[in-house]
Amino acid sequence: MGYQVGNLMVTMHQARREAVFRCIADPTRRRILQLLRRGESSVGDLAGNFRMTRPAISKHLRVLESAGLVVARQEGTSRLLTLDARPLRVVHDWVQDYEAYWGETLKDLKRYVETQR
Amino acid sequence: MSKDVIVREITIRASADTVFDALARPEERVAWWGRESRFRATRMESDLRPGGRWTMCFETPRGPASVNGEYRAVERPRLLEFTWRPSWFDSAESLVRIELEESDGVTHVRLTHAGLVGEADRANSSGWLDLLAAVQAYVERAVADGSTTT
Repeated sequence: MGYQVGNLMVTMHQARREAVFRCIADPTRRRILQLLRRGESSVGDLAGNFRMTRPAISKHLRVLESAGLVVARQEGTSRLLTLDARPLRVVHDWVQDYEAYWGETLKDLKRYVETQR
Repeated sequence: MSKDVIVREITIRASADTVFDALARPEERVAWWGRESRFRATRMESDLRPGGRWTMCFETPRGPASVNGEYRAVERPRLLEFTWRPSWFDSAESLVRIELEESDGVTHVRLTHAGLVGEADRANSSGWLDLLAAVQAYVERAVADGSTTT
């Protein structure tokens, strides 16, 4: 739909885009992303910020990793996590596309009301 | 200004009643909502009252699509507000507010599309907006650097 929105639908990697949006729709995952903005963190340190169990946090981390938003590396016995913000670009683009979409829609409305009606 | 709110404005040489009807009456809506070969509204069902549901169907080169939602405010001819749920994007519900202000025979239209990404959890949306600001900074930096390394 929409020239711009339609293009999104057609050209973007739909599954990956959905994965990113699904990640950020959840408050715990958003919080994890925010904590990782400070820099690399171990799973244990990260889990210390939440009241939920560590397995629950690990589950959220797997979702974030599969969307490419969190990258893990092993150092000794601990898993260290870093943020990769690049996939979030789809969110930025999506909002921008809507801006163009509504601009065009209002122009269509104007054209219809002023000339065709 | 948060980055997940879009505001668009236009001035139309017509009364607010006329503009409101073009927006709210299904037979008028499908007459203009579309962009040539790219997509075209084909049908709209609308229960025009607060709490009433609406659905707008489209033809696109990729097949049919639709948007639906619920009216939140219906105050002809000043205000139309409805939720927006596109069929092509399952996790999103956002809010479109259209305000009309008539003076000297022209109508100023102000469209606000809010909650584009934070709707699922408004209580935490301040955290989300902070994150989106970070994305913005990242994207601008990446463009400035001509690179995409973080």
